[in-house]
Parts: sequence; C-alpha cells; structure tokens
Amino acid sequence: MPPLPSQQTALTITSLLRLVALGLISGAAIAPRLFSVVEFESIIHEFDPWFNYRATRILTSKGFHEFWNWFDANAWYPLGRVVGGTVYPGLMATSGIIYAVLHAMNLPVDIRNICVLLAPGFSALTAWATYMFTKEMKDESAGLLAAAFIAVAPGYISRSVAGSYDNEAIAITLLMITFYSWIKALKLGSALFGTVAAMFYFYMVAAWGGYVFITNMIPLHALALMLMGRYTGRLYVAYSTWYAIGTLASMQVPFVGFQPVSTSDHMAALGVFGLVQIVALTQVVKSHVSSTQFQGLLSAGLILALGVIAFAGMTYRGMIAPWTGRFYSLWDTSYAAKHIPIIASVSEHQPTAWPSLFRDLQFLLFLLPAGLALCFYHLRDEHVFVVLYAVAASYFAGVMNRLVLTLTPVVCVATAMAVSEMLDVYLDVGSEERTEKEKEKEIAEAEDADAASKPKRPGPHIHSLDTRLAVILPLCSLLAFFILHSTWVTDVSYSSPSVVLATYNRDGTRNIVDDFREAYAWLRQNTAEDAVVLSWWDYGYQIAGMAQRTTIVDNNTWNNTHIATVGKIMSSPESIAYPLLRNLDVDYILILFGGVIGFSGDDINKFMWMVRIAEGVWPDEIQEARFLDAQGEYGAIEAMRESLLFKMSYYRFADRIRFNQGRSRVVMDRVRNQPAPIGVSLDYLEEAFSTENWMVRIYKVKREDVLGRDLKSANAFVSGVKRGPYPERVLTRRRPLDIHVV
Amino acid sequence: MLHAKSSLHSPLPAAATIKLDTASFELLTSPTRDWSASIQLTALDPRRRCNPCKEFSPSWNAVAKAWSKTSKQHRDTHFFATLDFDDGQAVFQQLGLASAPVVYAYPAAEGSRSTGKTAPSTYDFSHGFEAGPLAQHLSRHTPIPIPYTAPFDWARWTTTAAGVLANRWTWAVVSILTSLVMTSGYMFTRIRNSPFMGGDGSWIAGGFQNQYGQEVQVISLVYGTLGFAFIMLTLVIPYQSSSQRQRFQVYLWTAVIAMVYSILVVLFKAKNRGYPFRLLL
Repeated sequence: MPPLPSQQTALTITSLLRLVALGLISGAAIAPRLFSVVEFESIIHEFDPWFNYRATRILTSKGFHEFWNWFDANAWYPLGRVVGGTVYPGLMATSGIIYAVLHAMNLPVDIRNICVLLAPGFSALTAWATYMFTKEMKDESAGLLAAAFIAVAPGYISRSVAGSYDNEAIAITLLMITFYSWIKALKLGSALFGTVAAMFYFYMVAAWGGYVFITNMIPLHALALMLMGRYTGRLYVAYSTWYAIGTLASMQVPFVGFQPVSTSDHMAALGVFGLVQIVALTQVVKSHVSSTQFQGLLSAGLILALGVIAFAGMTYRGMIAPWTGRFYSLWDTSYAAKHIPIIASVSEHQPTAWPSLFRDLQFLLFLLPAGLALCFYHLRDEHVFVVLYAVAASYFAGVMNRLVLTLTPVVCVATAMAVSEMLDVYLDVGSEERTEKEKEKEIAEAEDADAASKPKRPGPHIHSLDTRLAVILPLCSLLAFFILHSTWVTDVSYSSPSVVLATYNRDGTRNIVDDFREAYAWLRQNTAEDAVVLSWWDYGYQIAGMAQRTTIVDNNTWNNTHIATVGKIMSSPESIAYPLLRNLDVDYILILFGGVIGFSGDDINKFMWMVRIAEGVWPDEIQEARFLDAQGEYGAIEAMRESLLFKMSYYRFADRIRFNQGRSRVVMDRVRNQPAPIGVSLDYLEEAFSTENWMVRIYKVKREDVLGRDLKSANAFVSGVKRGPYPERVLTRRRPLDIHVV
Repeated sequence: MLHAKSSLHSPLPAAATIKLDTASFELLTSPTRDWSASIQLTALDPRRRCNPCKEFSPSWNAVAKAWSKTSKQHRDTHFFATLDFDDGQAVFQQLGLASAPVVYAYPAAEGSRSTGKTAPSTYDFSHGFEAGPLAQHLSRHTPIPIPYTAPFDWARWTTTAAGVLANRWTWAVVSILTSLVMTSGYMFTRIRNSPFMGGDGSWIAGGFQNQYGQEVQVISLVYGTLGFAFIMLTLVIPYQSSSQRQRFQVYLWTAVIAMVYSILVVLFKAKNRGYPFRLLL
C-alpha cells in the first residue's frame, strides 16, 4: 500500500481541490443565468434596467462628469429629473469601469453586452464572498457548500439573470463582502478589516437603497454582543472603525447626503456607536478603580435611557426625520395601502405567500432551523450575527416579495453549516480504525473522569457502515433535487426578458410576442424627435430607452402629483382630459391592451391604481366609487365607458374580424371575458398605431381645429352627423342637368 | 360585659391588630367571651432586643390585615390583638412567659361558637415565621378561613425570569419559531387578512400567490419537523453509545425526513400545477 501523503502535500492537494471546486461553482453560477440569452437574445429585461442602461450609455459616451451632473430634460416632462442627485451611481460606475478597462485592453465590447452580462459575472463573485463568509462561521467545507447553494438558489437568480441590469445585481455581492469584512474585523480586532468593511459599505450605499439593512444589522449585532456581556476591545475597534469611516464615506453619495445623521433609519448605528464609546470608557475606568462595575452598568443604562428619550424628543420636534415611507411600510404594513398607493401598487412590494418562498429557496428553508440550532450550540460572536440576520431577514422576506433576495444568503450559510456538520459526522472514516491501545486509553480516561466531577461525554461516533449510507445517500439526493428544482425554476419563471413574451400553442410550438419592441421601434422611426409620449409610469423607462422619446412619468415615481395627473387624464372623459393633454404638450399616448391575446398585465387591469392615485390628489373630481357597479366591482358603467383609457383600449376592437376563432361571431375581450363594447368613439385622439397583437396601442393627440370648432363637433361633422335644423334646400341633392345634345 | 363589648365594637384603629394593655387583655380574654381572639405577645422595643419578634411582626400584621378585609359580621366575632411586653408585663408574668413572640388563639367561651374549651391554644412556629402557615393555623379558630394570599414574590420571579432569559436555548427556541412562522407566510395572512380556512371548508387556497391562515400552521409544522429530524441526526444520534439504538434512530429519522419532504412536495404541487418533480408520494 502506498504511504499516506505528508501533511504538507495533503494541505496543498486540498487547497487545489478547493480552488477547482470554486471555479466549478462559479461556472454553475453563471450558466443558469444565461437561459434568457440563449432562448431569446442578449437584451436588457424588465423596466428599471432600461433606465440604468440609458444612464450607463450616457456615462460611457459622455464621461463621468456629464453623468454626475446630468439633468434629464426628456423625463418627467416638463419638470425634468435631476439624475445625478437622485440615482445610486454604483451600478453605472461599475459597468463604466469595466467598459473602460476592456477598451483600454483593445477589446471593443459593446456596452449593452457588458450591462447584460454584469449580473451573472457578479454572481460568481457572490459565491466566492459567501464561501469566505461561511469559512469564518465554520470551515472551508461549509464554505464550499454555501457557495454552491447561493450559486443556484432561485431566490438570488430571480434578480440576477443575464439582462436584469438592476441594482441588486451587484448589491448582494457587496452585502456579503461587507458582512465578511465585518466578521473578520470583529474576530481579529483589526482596524484594517474595519476599513475594508467601511469601503465596501460605501460601495454598497452607492449601489442600492437597501443598504439600510447593513446600516441596522451591524449595530444590532454589536448591541446584542454587548447585551450578552461579550464586549471586548476587538468589538470596539471593529465597530468604531466601520461606523466612522463608513458613515463619512456614505455621505459622499449625493442621494444619501445628510441622511445618516438625520433620519430614523440610521439612528440605530449612531446610538450603538455612542453606546460602544461609553462601554469602553467604563471598562477603562473600571480597570483603574475597583467596585465601579455596578456604577458602570447603572450609568450605561442611564445614558441609554437618556439617548432614547433624546431621540424620541428630536423626532417629535422634527429634527430627525421619521421613518420614511418605503421602510416604514415594512413595520406598519397597512401604512402604504392607506397613504401611499404607489408603494402599495408595485407588484414587488406585495407580501410573500409560502409557495413563492418555497419555489425560491426549497430545502434551504427547512434546514434554516437546523443551522440556527447549530449556531446556538457553538454561539461564538459570529454565530450571533447569523442568528440576528436570519430572524430579521425572514420577517422582511415575508413582508415584501422583493426582499426574499436578502434572505437567500443567510439561509445558504445556515444550511451549509448544517449539511457540513452532518457530513463531518457521517463521513468520519478515521474513527473506524481505532487500535486496541487507543480503546484501552479511552477506557482508562473514562474511569479517571468518573472519579472526577462529571463523566466525559463520548465524542460523536457512528457505529456502522449501513447507518452512514442511510444518511449520506438521501442527503446527496436531497442536494441533487435542489439543483434540479433550481434549474427548472430558473428556466420557467425567471428567464423571461418580459420585453419579449413567449406563449405556447396547443401543439407545443412557441409563439414569440414582440409587440413592445414593435411599438417602440414605430415610435422611434415615425415620430418627431422631440415628440412627447404619455403612458402609465410602468413603461416610462422602456420608452425612454428603446423609443428614445420624451416621457411624462416613469418608474422613478418621484412626483406623485405628476403621476396623479396622468391617472386623472386616463380616468376622465375626453373633454376634461384634452386640456390637460394640451397643457403637457402631449403628442402621443401609449397604452397596453391585452384583450386580443389574453395578456392580463394591461392598463385596464391597472385602472384601479390610476383612479386611486388620482383620487389621492383630486378627491372631489375623481372618486373610485363612481367606477364601481352595484356589486362593488369595476364594471362597464357610464363613468368607466366615458373614461379615456376605456375608449383607447376598445376603439375599433369590436370591428375586428375573427377568422376561425370558434363559432361565436362576437369579439371577446380575452382578459375580462366580456364581449367587446360597441360604439366606442374618439373625438380628441386619433389612432396612430396598434401592434400585431394589439398589445400596444398608440394614439395621436389632435391639435386644435383650424376653424376654431371644438373637436367633438368637428368630428361629428366629418362623420356626417346632422346637426340642427338645416334648411331643406341645402340637403336636397341637386337635380341632374337636363342637357340635350343638339 | 355590654360595656366591654361596645367598646370593642368601636371602629377599628388604623392597624388591623388591636394594641392591648393589661386591662384590655383581661377584657379580651374574659371567661364569658362569646367572641374568639388571636393574640400576639411580643416585645418590639429595641431595648428588649427580641429579634424573632421583629422577624415575626410583619407576618402577623399581614394575616391581621387579611382578616380585616372580611365582612363586618365576621370581623366582629374574631379579633386580632397584639400585647407588647412594655404595655402588659403583668400578663407576661401571669402567663409565665419567658420568651417571645408567642401566639395564643382564644376560642369563644360562650355563645354559638363555643366549643367547650376556654383555654387558649398556642402556635408552635413549626413552620417558622411565615405568614401562610400562621394563617392556616389560626383559621381553625376563625368563623371563616382567613383570606390570606401570599403577596407576589417579586424577587423569586425576577431571578427565574433572568435565568430563563440568560439561557441561550430560550433564545434558540424563540428565533427558530419566529423564522419558521415568518417563512410560512404568516405576514401574508396578516396583511391580506386571509381567512383561516376557505369558504368551502378547504384548508389550502388554490392560487400560487394566495394562502389561508391554516396553511401557516401546517407548513411551519412541516418545516419544523424536517429541521428537527436533521438536528436529531446531527446533534443527538451520533452521541448514542448503543449501536442498535443508533441504527434504529438513524433509520427512523431518515424515514421521517423522506415522508415529510414528500408531503411538502405534494402540497407545493397542489399550489403550482406545472411542477414536474415528485418524491415518494
């Protein structure tokens, strides 16, 4: 039998294996995120990424200063938008740097490809960061498992597929690196790692609005450690360094500004910073003077109480801004629905039902308790962090769909710890070969221990081979099932670019519905360059990005009144809407209509939000109750039938000829399952374009009549409607001339 | 007698126990009494240096106070009284008392409540100076049992609470339960005001983005069972010394995991029709 390799060789081989494993995991992270690129094309998805892409194009074509000071006059017409001060620049800056580096190496990669493929690339980095984080929690094998889990977990893939060029693409990577640096700083008491944590925290603040999570998680950890009596000099150094440098750095981002010292979201960090200083001071004093321990606790408690009172007083007096809308709605879950309908209407802000969580995280969810139990078993300082993170994140993930993303890393870590522990115990092959001598030694030790205070607990040991297999084989199949599930979920649920839709016919062939791009291309090619397009805010970014036209409202939703104006236009009769349209210089209106192909995300289905938001600003002109029928549901009653959106959606719909579409000759709205309304007429608009499946319909706003008539009468005249008592003479046809040829 | 009775029927002083002296002691314990009395003979003056008297006095006052809360008709048939050594040395001499405190219970000598015995019975402090046993003993002589309830023992309660809070497994249970409930969609049911069960009695809602209240319980139970099985397999079973028992437990918990996970997949399929995978069920 060949001799066992030496210690050094074994270490080298294991680190090589680890490197190879990490490389394979990175590949496994990137591969499932490319489904949409393979099935469709390399295109930016969804809505928000289109704005980020446009901003990155400005950055790369015009330079950083142009981007930083960019005032976008083509959005939120006529208000414009100060982009430099209202955007998180981290994502665009990252793409810009990668673009610059590649071009400096003479690799002319198009900016679109960089933007599309940024998220998969950073997911490989996230896997590495999770590996480092879990390595601090347990060991390298747990780290590799955690990296593998987060590489394929659908909860993370959902926001980082190729083409999803949104802030979360880089945010989760930075989150894990920040947390890793914090834990390292805490363990070593190192100011260097504290500074690294602060720098990555700054990067995170520049990248995503969810940085507030880190801002509260790290102080919570520090506070929990102090309450558990685990205050040490290491904690002091790590926390003070992180807070001081991190907060100062984060205030450099214009969008954040002075918030870290004036809003409630950030006060916990400041409070814990003060508390850490006080505790450190009392420790120093105590080491020089005896019997001040009780005094110290007393004064710490007193100052904590004073701090809370001061905070409450300052919030009451308005010096500290209270919790802002988006984050306050996480605590008071009914707040958004009552006061800020825009927040309540976003689909990502809806609460999460359990099937959604299971689809995103599968077996990671029920191994979370096992991982938490392990953390409590060991309960080192870093395990406290995992527990706090897991409990907080599971609450937030339950409240808001979008935050399942923040839960994903911690369940991966906890599950990896549990699985690794199980594998350690059941794969432990060394204990089988205990020699007789060793067994005798153990018995002697046990006898000695009996004579002492307590009998020593025997180490974990699995006695027979079949029990090992009985656990290892199902565990491996569990992991394989997770991979299969994740891949299936990624393919089916998260790989749709949502700009291009795919439907499947009865015989399984695929039908590509490319109406969105058709409409945007039509706008780009057939309208004046300074044309103003009005639509609901969902499509603003896409119109600006693909059609490159000026929009009235977009996904930034920063001005509620402007959005309410659009809502009022959509829900009012034509004669009321027309002056508003002319006020805003609107040339074209773009709406979505899904009645022909059964697309349920169209504007009629969003109508209630338009009404509600408009009602919030003009409660005496728009009332939701007028649109509800006797059963309290939205029906085709008069107010609805007169509204602009209804007319635009169903204009000429009833005239569609149906070929081979069943025996019924009545055209049906396939979303609402209602027959098409007849007699829909438009006086102030004219139809400009409807796409192939009538999904996107574009209307042109008519200019004022040249003869000074109101447009309703002008239209009536053109369509031959008799009006008023015209003298018979005018209406009578002229008698034919009686001509004789001589 | 009547005169004595009426003076004793005057409104009670602020303390629930009557302060006696030699003369009033004779009155209270007169052989023709038709009332009963519990009398404490004590020496509270610091010069007497009677530490047990000081220890016992609060318990006596507590029981007397409890008695003073009863209805007037009962209060007027049994009296609590205290005789201090400095006020009635003669009584101490007469009764031949050398130590204090002493508690005498004088039953009624005449009238409806008399039992034939006129001599007092002594409390032997076998349970120490606690108020509870004192009240129990004296209740044998009172028309109704003394309504004494022990006051809330703050010290013991806070120490047990602190002990519970300082124990890590308390927090472990709290964290694990919280995360289980939250990941089972509890906040969804709270925000959407979902009913506990469907209108037609079904416990599982049809849609993918919808759930009833009962599903929260079922799913958190499922997750909890699976997590618990894992904990057993990892943290408990490996420390089993007996090989047979270990084998049995390993197979048991592995089977539990297989079955419960299969059930979970079936439940998920009920929600998400297009799910192509299945386990054992």
